Amino acid sequence: MSIIIDDEKCGKISNCPGEGLCIKLCEKGALKEENDEIVFFPENCDDCDLCIQNCPNQAISKE
Amino acid sequence: MSTVERNGDQIRSLNYLTENCVGCGICSDICPTTAIKLNPILPIARGLLKMDYININEDDCALCGLCASACPFSALEFAINDKNIKYMEEYPKWTHNSSIDDDTCIYCGACEIACPRDAINVARTLPQRKDLVTGEISIEDEKCISCGICEEICPAEAITTKRDQKQISDIKVDENKCVYCLICKRICPADAIKAVCRICSYGEQDLDPKDTEITGNIILSEYSCINCGWCQEVCPVDAAEITKPFEGEIVFQEDFECKGETCHACEDVCPCNAIKIEDNKSVVNSKVCVLCGACAKACPQNGIIINRYKMNLENIRSKSWQRILSGLVE
Repeated sequence: MSIIIDDEKCGKISNCPGEGLCIKLCEKGALKEENDEIVFFPENCDDCDLCIQNCPNQAISKE
Repeated sequence: MSTVERNGDQIRSLNYLTENCVGCGICSDICPTTAIKLNPILPIARGLLKMDYININEDDCALCGLCASACPFSALEFAINDKNIKYMEEYPKWTHNSSIDDDTCIYCGACEIACPRDAINVARTLPQRKDLVTGEISIEDEKCISCGICEEICPAEAITTKRDQKQISDIKVDENKCVYCLICKRICPADAIKAVCRICSYGEQDLDPKDTEITGNIILSEYSCINCGWCQEVCPVDAAEITKPFEGEIVFQEDFECKGETCHACEDVCPCNAIKIEDNKSVVNSKVCVLCGACAKACPQNGIIINRYKMNLENIRSKSWQRILSGLVE
């Protein structure tokens, strides 16, 4: 299982109402910041779905 | 605190008391005009989002007062012409209650530590040591060599000595601190201390029972208390009595794959400290759960089910309110 980040809905971290909330919520290090973008590391993901549930832009979904 | 207020024939106002809100979302579930929106409670509970748990849309709010009547935590207050509807006979009344019996309480303070809402304050006054243990102690100045050993060894810090160049002693025993353990007497190399413990000789009869009582005061703040039952759980003398807002049970979905330590959303949002992650799974202590449902809303797997059988809210006169509130129970 893996997540998909919808780039159109997500945008840059600096524009995120939660200032990269998904990164802050993920304690497995599956979401990281690189140049103001969110990068997903599937090998670290534990499928907890916290990012999906809490994304202020509803930009994250399951594959 | 935020307020919605409108003036017509009556002045109606709805106050939101942020500090009492636990983010359970009961108000947003029952609002007839969907004017209350529950914000993402987990990031707020973790301090990642700086906002209130709920937002009240002033334009949509009909100022009916149902949310304030149904909030089990008094986080919403509704007033008509400045009178809180809680005290108006036409409106529903919660029968949940918490009390701590002052006469039974031994002021141990266990409840104060356990209370997740800091709603309990225990103040106590202990008797003087001299009223709990009696004895006699004296130091013979002629024999004393001012060595200071008694001061150094005294476990109660009851002895003070002053030494000067001429080795003249000024030795004092504080009888409020001395517990007549007789250690000084045993160790004095000059055999200068005479001491006796009267309790060893005469036992309890030597004490005046009224001087040996612990007195105190316990205050349970009705305002902050959420009736979770921790005080009742930890009280060693059963002085606390709690009636909870709901009766029922909290269960997990059969196919629930709890992510435990990875997620711990339920643990973080629970206002009662009723949830802990054990063996990488969510474990609920039902005894201190108020069935508010915050955990069920925060669980990203929707794995938690709140089954309420009874709501301890009485005097719901409006048929439409009865219908809406019955949605909170099975």
